[in-house]
Amino acid sequence: MKSVLITFDQAYYERIIVTLDKLNCRGFTSWREVQGRGSHTGEPHYGTHAWPSMASAVITMVDDSRVEPLLRALKEMDDATPRLGLRAFVWNIEQSI
Amino acid sequence: MSLYSSAVKRPIMTTLCFVAVAILGLFSLSSLPIDLYPDVETNTIMVMTTYQGASAQDIEQNVTRPLENALNAVNDLKHITSKSRENISLITLEFEYGKDIDVLTNDVRDKLDMVKSSLPDNSETPIIFKFSTDMIPIVMLSVQADESMPGLYKILDDGVVNPLARISGVGSVSISGAPKREIHVYVDPNRLEAYGLSVETIAQIIAAENRNIPGGSFDVGSDTYALRVQGEFTSADQMNNIVVGSRNGSNIYLRDVARVDDSLEERAQETFNDGRRGAMIVIQKQSGANSVEISDQVLKQLPSLQKRLPSDVKLDIIVDTSDNIRNTIDALVETVMYALLFVVIVVFAFLGRWRATLIITITIPISLIASFIYLAVTGNTLNIVSLSALSISIGMVVDDAIVVLENVTTHIERGADPKQAAINGTNEVAVSVVASTLTLIAVFFPLTLVTGMTGVLFRQLGWMVTIMMIISTVCALSLTPMLCSQLLRKNNRHGRFYNLLFTPINRGLDAFDNGYGKLLGRVVTHKGATIAVCVAIFIGSLWLVGRVGTEFFPTADDGRLRVNLELPIGTRVEIAKEVTRRLSDEWRSKYPEIKVLNYTTGQASSDNVYASLSDNGSHIVSMNIRLSDPGDRDRKITEIAALMRQDLESYPEFAKYQVNVGGMEGMGGQSSIDYEIYGYDFAETDSVARRLVRALREIKGAADVRISRSDYQPEYQVDFDREKLAMYGLNLQTAATALRNRINGALMSQFREDGEEYDIKVMYAPEHRTSIADIENILLYSAQGNSVRVKDVGEVVERFTPPTIERKDRERIITVSTVADGVPMSAIVEQSQKVIDAMELPAGINIQLAGSYEDQQDSFRDLLTLAVLIILLVYIVMAAQFESYTYPAIIMTSLLFAFSGVFIMLYITGHNLNVMSLIGAIMLIGIVVKNGIVLIDYISLNRERGMSIRRAVVDGGRSRLRPVVMTTLTTILGMVPMAVGTGQGSEMWRPMGVAVIGGLTFSTILTLLFVPTLYCLFAYVGVKRQRRGLRRRLTAARND
Repeated sequence: MKSVLITFDQAYYERIIVTLDKLNCRGFTSWREVQGRGSHTGEPHYGTHAWPSMASAVITMVDDSRVEPLLRALKEMDDATPRLGLRAFVWNIEQSI
Repeated sequence: MSLYSSAVKRPIMTTLCFVAVAILGLFSLSSLPIDLYPDVETNTIMVMTTYQGASAQDIEQNVTRPLENALNAVNDLKHITSKSRENISLITLEFEYGKDIDVLTNDVRDKLDMVKSSLPDNSETPIIFKFSTDMIPIVMLSVQADESMPGLYKILDDGVVNPLARISGVGSVSISGAPKREIHVYVDPNRLEAYGLSVETIAQIIAAENRNIPGGSFDVGSDTYALRVQGEFTSADQMNNIVVGSRNGSNIYLRDVARVDDSLEERAQETFNDGRRGAMIVIQKQSGANSVEISDQVLKQLPSLQKRLPSDVKLDIIVDTSDNIRNTIDALVETVMYALLFVVIVVFAFLGRWRATLIITITIPISLIASFIYLAVTGNTLNIVSLSALSISIGMVVDDAIVVLENVTTHIERGADPKQAAINGTNEVAVSVVASTLTLIAVFFPLTLVTGMTGVLFRQLGWMVTIMMIISTVCALSLTPMLCSQLLRKNNRHGRFYNLLFTPINRGLDAFDNGYGKLLGRVVTHKGATIAVCVAIFIGSLWLVGRVGTEFFPTADDGRLRVNLELPIGTRVEIAKEVTRRLSDEWRSKYPEIKVLNYTTGQASSDNVYASLSDNGSHIVSMNIRLSDPGDRDRKITEIAALMRQDLESYPEFAKYQVNVGGMEGMGGQSSIDYEIYGYDFAETDSVARRLVRALREIKGAADVRISRSDYQPEYQVDFDREKLAMYGLNLQTAATALRNRINGALMSQFREDGEEYDIKVMYAPEHRTSIADIENILLYSAQGNSVRVKDVGEVVERFTPPTIERKDRERIITVSTVADGVPMSAIVEQSQKVIDAMELPAGINIQLAGSYEDQQDSFRDLLTLAVLIILLVYIVMAAQFESYTYPAIIMTSLLFAFSGVFIMLYITGHNLNVMSLIGAIMLIGIVVKNGIVLIDYISLNRERGMSIRRAVVDGGRSRLRPVVMTTLTTILGMVPMAVGTGQGSEMWRPMGVAVIGGLTFSTILTLLFVPTLYCLFAYVGVKRQRRGLRRRLTAARND
């Protein structure tokens, strides 16, 4: 089991849920409105007067085999519209109930 | 779920909601009546009391004063004015604007009931009219007749007047120029004396003979019969054979002492249409009724009425005021359409995409149509004010939608799905859209709270713009994102046509942006110089404030002239007729613009309401002239009026003349200035008035100077000696009544024919009342039958009395009035004020300025208070939005340039400052401030994003240039058709268009340079202060 944290401009939200469904990743937890900015070029998403856009975050626990296709799909999405901003981070699940 | 996300997710519901609003709006539009103004007429009620035979002073003492004292207690009364003239007392009650006329009428009626018993016995019951003489007739019909002329009055009364009077809202329908039938019994005083008879006895006998008396019923066998005596005369000739007495056993018949004359009233008005004798029917409306609706109904009924009249009687229209209203409104609708077109073109040019243009422009009809619902619900009309509100709003209602669309487009460009982009994009700007709408509402909502006349004008404007703004914001937050999500696509490819058209436009706009950016950079570096130049321009424009004249309302060219002519008092009607015929012939050949010329001469009978309420008499001529439509002639109405005044100078026959331009005085007519001279003593007030007139005549531009009090009328008075009267068993009343019966006629009975009643008047034959001796020889009889001549108990003396005594607010008044011809009203007021200040007035006499000058002063005062209130409110809204006291103040400085712009533009175009241009100036507050908000908002956003002050200003300026210029252009171009319009009535709204264009252009250009500079200055100061504080804290920390 791996956990994938996806943070993205909130405009991606529906597309990401659809992608998860398509790849048979059933479980996820999402935060509709989170704030943050990218490490390099990523525009701040603060929901303020100066930076009005907002980001969302989804964390999903998937089988090891599904990580690759998921990241590939996400990368494709990010490449198509790079100005929106989408990042995914993967790490191991040590234990779960 | 927010408004915009549910709108985007449910497009069908959203669409249908707005379709429903549009349908409701269009339905309301179809039922909206049209009018020139909102209901700005004063609520006026008139009380007319006739007391036949009484002189002006008698009327004042015995009728007017008691009535005035009683009526003064009515609530909401603004002014009470009265005219007491021979036979008639006219009291006009002027109420505050916007009160319910029906409630007021009841109030007045109650007060009249209370005072009725203290009026003289012979005076008639006071009659209440829900209109005033100031209200010009809305329709005037001319009547031509040949063989029907003698019976014309009855024909018109039955066939035209009664049906027209039944139309709801009609105040009065009067006939002039068609004398009524009257039966005169002309007695010979010598024969009466010989037989020992008096006029009263004969009148009583005629009344006693002219009777139908029912005798009850009685039974004959099985039937019941009614018993009647039918004694009424069936023809006037029968009267000849009445026995009026007997002498020495033989009967004296009426024919022995009198002759019966079945003819027309002795003194009647005559009307001439285009030089030919005829009659005139005048239709006036009630207070608050709609002219266009009434005139429509009148015109609709005319063909069927014409059919019922004898074939030689022909009806025609002399004046139809609704024509002017209709043309004016049509012209204004046209300018609104042009404004719409211009706005669409500007939006298309700036956005360059037809889908985006469609999304934006669809908010215009929806917001505009929604405001019709308000008009219909509140019972308002489509008028100059409401249509101006539409014209003004067209440019503003698109602003919110543009902001939303731009942001959604940015999101789509960034790669978001249109639906998500629409929701998120709208979400981001929703707060600032609502805030900018609030600023505008802060400007327009206070307009709804104003009272008085300005209130009536502005309330509608305020409500309409507020409603349109709210609807447009709702639209921008629901319909616009929904349409964006449905219609906008990323990277839509452009066709060849697009490239051909928009490549140069885009290149031009880019160059414009860059040029402005560079200029801004330079301006920001030279802050001191920029501020100095701007302040200099503002101060320079202050110099113009004194040069731009002020007036109440612009003079509108409605193609109507009313000319009042007065010959020396007491002139016989024949002479008046002759002179006027010459004048009318001259004018008709000299001014080809004259379409219809109609005039009326002579004394009006007491039951012709219209004529008897206005000035009339054998020496007075009133003329109505209709000119061709303003578009069809070269000379303006004011020019023609000025020429006519010149012509009248060469007619020494006319003692006084007045050429009235346009319909109502003040509103649309030439500005009138009234100088009210209060004082009881006739001689003193007269001399003051004459001095004032002489002074006014010397002022350039003061035309039609006239005194309201007419010349003294010579009259004969009989001074009875009460002791002598008492010796003969007479009192003053019996003696005076006897005089009246012989000269004016004793009216005891009426002749009935075909259901109509005609007065039978017993009086001296005309040949026996032509000299003072005839009066002196009148025999008076006491109750005991003693007879005595007038000369034995009294003396006939010639005296002069004022024919009309005018009062205002229960004080005697004399009004000197003048109109401003070719110069602004303020110029005349200024000069005349100097004259008045230099005049030495007798004690107890004071002069007050009134007329449209008073209205103007009231309105300007109201509007300036309003402007201050609005500025404060706008500041509060902005300060709340920016959470700062400085930024709103910086933005507010652009108002100064708007102010300069208004005056510069008015000065250049030669318009005056009037209520219409002030309306424009007040609206500017909102529009101008909005530009500043857009600019400062973006600059502070840039600073929050970490830019330096200078870069934030230059960058922000450059990127906000397009939205600012776009919204300004939409508003300016929306007003251009108003400012240059040449349609009928365009004189009215041209100053408003000019004021808005001038103020907006000027303030926008300067705002784009001055506001960023000022921002820089304050921002630097702020940063320095921050640093200083920081440094102080650092040193403090280091010292610890």
